[in-house]
Amino acid sequence: MDLTRSSPMSLAESRLAWLDTRQRLLSQNVANADTPGFRSSDAVPFRQVLDRRRASAAMVTTDASHLTPPRANSLAVQDRRVSERTPNGNAVSLDEQAIRIAETDQAHALAMGLHRKYVGLFRTALGR
Amino acid sequence: MDLDRALSISAAGMSAQSTRLRVVAENIANRDSTGQSPGADPYRRKTVSFGSRLDRSLGAETVRVSRIGQAPGSFPERFEPSHPAADARGYVKTPNVDSMIENMDMREANRSYSANLAVLETTRGMLMRAIETLR
Repeated sequence: MDLTRSSPMSLAESRLAWLDTRQRLLSQNVANADTPGFRSSDAVPFRQVLDRRRASAAMVTTDASHLTPPRANSLAVQDRRVSERTPNGNAVSLDEQAIRIAETDQAHALAMGLHRKYVGLFRTALGR
Repeated sequence: MDLDRALSISAAGMSAQSTRLRVVAENIANRDSTGQSPGADPYRRKTVSFGSRLDRSLGAETVRVSRIGQAPGSFPERFEPSHPAADARGYVKTPNVDSMIENMDMREANRSYSANLAVLETTRGMLMRAIETLR
């Protein structure tokens, strides 16, 4: 039995990878909270990431001249709904970003906990 | 790794905000810097412009101070004939620094700096949690 391929492990792994990306995008938003004309972006919902993996009908590049679809693997999506916009065109709401960051932190703790518990299960089975 | 990049992005944000704070300090410090010779221009208020920059090594948009410019506009004048910088009419040009505006700018810089710091701490917490699993 391959430990890393079994579902809770790989699920936790992909969830953590998604949360990492989301944290990067959110920190980008906060860093640019005073940049004129900047629009905030967020990661696509995790459900979509899972669906994408299940469908796995990605185009394969077999030749160097093949074009890759630009946003096929990109997780970032620009926020459509803008809650506030300053006169200089900046549309980053710090409060909203703070809530999202707290969410990400919590989800990260949960996924880490799942991972640890699952590893603990194997530890118990091994008698350690 | 994305979390490392998030740390670098937050750090870039903090450094941009501290540059802004430095410029605010310069403006406030030079609030009374008049010219030396009769009719000379006094200190002109400096402004900070932010811009996002695509950092190729990070593959992310970081922030940086794109330009430190000078605020346009005329200088307020004060009647003081005995001043060395007074012109023929006895007026001295004073810097176009408004302490209210500087104060507001300072608070905004402080707020943005804190926001970046909070993100940095959260990211660090996430990294530490990941490291903990190695124990």
